Amino acid sequence: MDGLTKMTKIEIVISGRDAPPIRELITSAGATGYTSVSGVSGLGHHGPHSGALLFNESDTLTMLITVLPPEKASALISAVRTLLDDGPGVMFVADTYVSRPEYFG
Amino acid sequence: MSLEVRAAVAKATRAVIPIWPLSSFIAVNPLGGRESEDFSVAAVMRSLSAFRADYSAGRITDVELAAVLTNRVPELDDAGRVTLNGRDWTAIDLLVADLVRGEQAPSAPVLPAAPDRVDELVAKWVAAYLDPHPAWPMPNRGLGLWAAWGAMARHDPQLPAKARRQLANLPASADEGLANALTKLGLDDGAADQILKIEARRMPGWVGYIKWRAAQVGDIDLTSYLAVCLTLRWALGLPLPEPTTESKTELAAKPQTDLATDATRAATLAASLSPEPAASATLASIARILALHPPQDHAATWQAAYEEHYRRRLLSSLPVTSERVTDPKVQVVMCIDPRSEGMRRHLEVDPDIETLGFAGFFGVPIRFASYLARGSVDALPALLSPRHAVTETATDTVQAKLRTNAFRVRDAFTAGGHASETLPPAPFALAETVGWFSGIATLVRTLSPSLAGAIDAAQHRTTPLLKTEVTVATAFTLEERAAMAETGIRMMGLDRCAPLVILSGHGSTSANNLYQSALDCGACGGNPGAANARAGAAIFNDPNVRDLLKKRGLPIPATTYFVAAEHNTVSDHIEILDPHLIPESHAAAVREFTAAQNTAADLLVVERAGLLPGASEQPLARLRARADDWAEVYPELGLVRNAALIIGPREMTRGVDLERRVFMHSYRPECDPDGTALETIMTAPLVVAQWINHQYYFSTVDKNLWGAGTKTIHNAIGSIGVLAGQTGDLKIGLPLQSVSVGNRDLHEAMRLTVLIEAPLERVWAIIARNLVLRQLFDNHWVMLTARNDPNSDWQRYSTSGWISDPLAP
Repeated sequence: MDGLTKMTKIEIVISGRDAPPIRELITSAGATGYTSVSGVSGLGHHGPHSGALLFNESDTLTMLITVLPPEKASALISAVRTLLDDGPGVMFVADTYVSRPEYFG
Repeated sequence: MSLEVRAAVAKATRAVIPIWPLSSFIAVNPLGGRESEDFSVAAVMRSLSAFRADYSAGRITDVELAAVLTNRVPELDDAGRVTLNGRDWTAIDLLVADLVRGEQAPSAPVLPAAPDRVDELVAKWVAAYLDPHPAWPMPNRGLGLWAAWGAMARHDPQLPAKARRQLANLPASADEGLANALTKLGLDDGAADQILKIEARRMPGWVGYIKWRAAQVGDIDLTSYLAVCLTLRWALGLPLPEPTTESKTELAAKPQTDLATDATRAATLAASLSPEPAASATLASIARILALHPPQDHAATWQAAYEEHYRRRLLSSLPVTSERVTDPKVQVVMCIDPRSEGMRRHLEVDPDIETLGFAGFFGVPIRFASYLARGSVDALPALLSPRHAVTETATDTVQAKLRTNAFRVRDAFTAGGHASETLPPAPFALAETVGWFSGIATLVRTLSPSLAGAIDAAQHRTTPLLKTEVTVATAFTLEERAAMAETGIRMMGLDRCAPLVILSGHGSTSANNLYQSALDCGACGGNPGAANARAGAAIFNDPNVRDLLKKRGLPIPATTYFVAAEHNTVSDHIEILDPHLIPESHAAAVREFTAAQNTAADLLVVERAGLLPGASEQPLARLRARADDWAEVYPELGLVRNAALIIGPREMTRGVDLERRVFMHSYRPECDPDGTALETIMTAPLVVAQWINHQYYFSTVDKNLWGAGTKTIHNAIGSIGVLAGQTGDLKIGLPLQSVSVGNRDLHEAMRLTVLIEAPLERVWAIIARNLVLRQLFDNHWVMLTARNDPNSDWQRYSTSGWISDPLAP
């Protein structure tokens, strides 16, 4: 990992209609960006989920991915946990390394 | 702390359904956030006395009650039977008798949150913030609701001096403000979550609208709103908010019957069934049977029986044998909207006409701006985000210039008049100078709506008509256009093309009607469907698109031409759009269709008059003049009485009068080899149809809580929404005049019955992999009946599998 900077990567899989408040939390936490992948398919706690639906973006799963410095990540992780407390959705947190840290705040 | 507060707000408002503004009214299920719960738990139903009145009138029968009980109470098979006064009573007989004659449990009270001082103040400031007066906007508006309100509230004369002093030093941000208010109110994390949820439910109209606006406009959010609410509550020293009906339902345990209650019910029932006193052992047996169906379940059983009556009648009405029109000369593709059903039925009197149903945006989701328009509309289902902007280009530049000049002159007069109305001293001078002319215009519009309509039409004719084309070819790539055409063909089962194919969107016209857009096309985002129909026709006529379709095995004959049109649901005329684009080879066919359509339109207007209040004796011209009558609260009845969605080929229903109650989406399994088209229909048009159905349902069941109440006291807040009176919550749902006449309901509050003709394993697999469908069907928000093909028996969907339908023909 020579020359790379350690960051925290947070991935959240959530229903499309519940994604806006998560996006708002990500930007409020100071993340400089995120990646949104709609139409995520798979099998989870609530059963199977179809992939992209042609005319319905609200009821498919969306995966939001953001990378930010560890000191900013803990507040976001805590807030997302609060939001996911009693509803559907999962969060994955992992260490990651980036080559241009200035891109990630 | 800031993020935690925002997360708490998001969690507290997760179940809030966004409310669209009046300008693009989108039907929503107001309880859509609770679809993960069973309908009978989350929703409210009509009163038991209303159901019993329907039973007395024959609208619900013993057969349907028994069928529903068999389905809902499987333990009845082993529940035994009793003998009373020489008659043998099965368990089902007794439960039916209990429903019809037994002691009536009181209905759960529907208690909207009693408005308090905070609601009144918040509604005032939020309205001022969101609908700024053009001359006097709220100061500091650009800083957001919290900052703008904070700067003004300390000077609000409606607040006591002590409260104003407390509001003098508020935190700078809404996040900090909300955290501060929660601390001052002495709420820890758990209590704060609950109070945020309760506060957010006090004014569901404003909260739903702010949720929509936060996502679509971004100048306000729910954190600011709740910060203002709770800060005011603290500053005024008011008690914490009380739970509303919905949250009370959640908080309070459901009442449980005990043996004494069952015994009482048994004694009451036995006394009503037999003049002789029943033996104690018999009463005990009756009590054990009644315990299987406690009073809190009665409303759900009545509701299901009410719907079963309609479902059974619908299935019985469908033809046993079906034949397809051979070699049609014209195919008319109309929106799935129930209002299209009447038009399709009347058009099909002509054996050369075949009709199909498709979502009214014709699979072309666009943001549309007409020629020289100042703004645009999102002409697409609310389930999608706009990604493609389409506009118009003029095909005749000289004519376009003339029209532009004419509009400039008209706009100058309009702007002058508007300025005179809004600038402080000007209205007095305006009234003195042009008031007399306005008075004459007012008299004409009041006494002769049809003359007023004719004058309006003549005014429009003074503006040169513009020949344009929609810019669909630049908004979408060729591959995208071909994909949209292929999707449309597969979804509606267009396996052959007549020489003339008409894509007809729909729109409505009415005067002085704040709910105008509720009568437009839901699939087009609460807008008229003309733009989408024009875009669809342009795509299907594109030779490059046809080349690609041919390579995919979906050839469109060179002799086929697609024409865009729009169905006016007040006059029932179908207007042909872009007539300048129609080739001479098809002009005669279009003229013939127009003649056939005029006849169908007259018949349909007369048919609809049977339900329109005060219309049964009116001549055709007067019925159509309702669109121009500014005193008319019933220009048309929209989707009232909608009850079912049928997905299948037209042969299933052709020739049957479905009373304009059924959404109809064409579908042929043979055109959809992998089931993708059916999945698209079930996850989009079906979802939108159930939104509309539940909006009508809840607006009927509680006209003030879930509906907008009577139009007669509505005050508009810009184009955002309406208030009942001068202040309070923004009204949600439909006005009383959309579902009732006086105390008589026009709409029958039923959940959507869905009928699908498609391979059952395909339908099952689609439901299994889509959570939205599992919730709708498994939790009984929508009822599904399906069959493999025309020769198979109908089967009812249940969580445990398909159930042979004993009531179906």
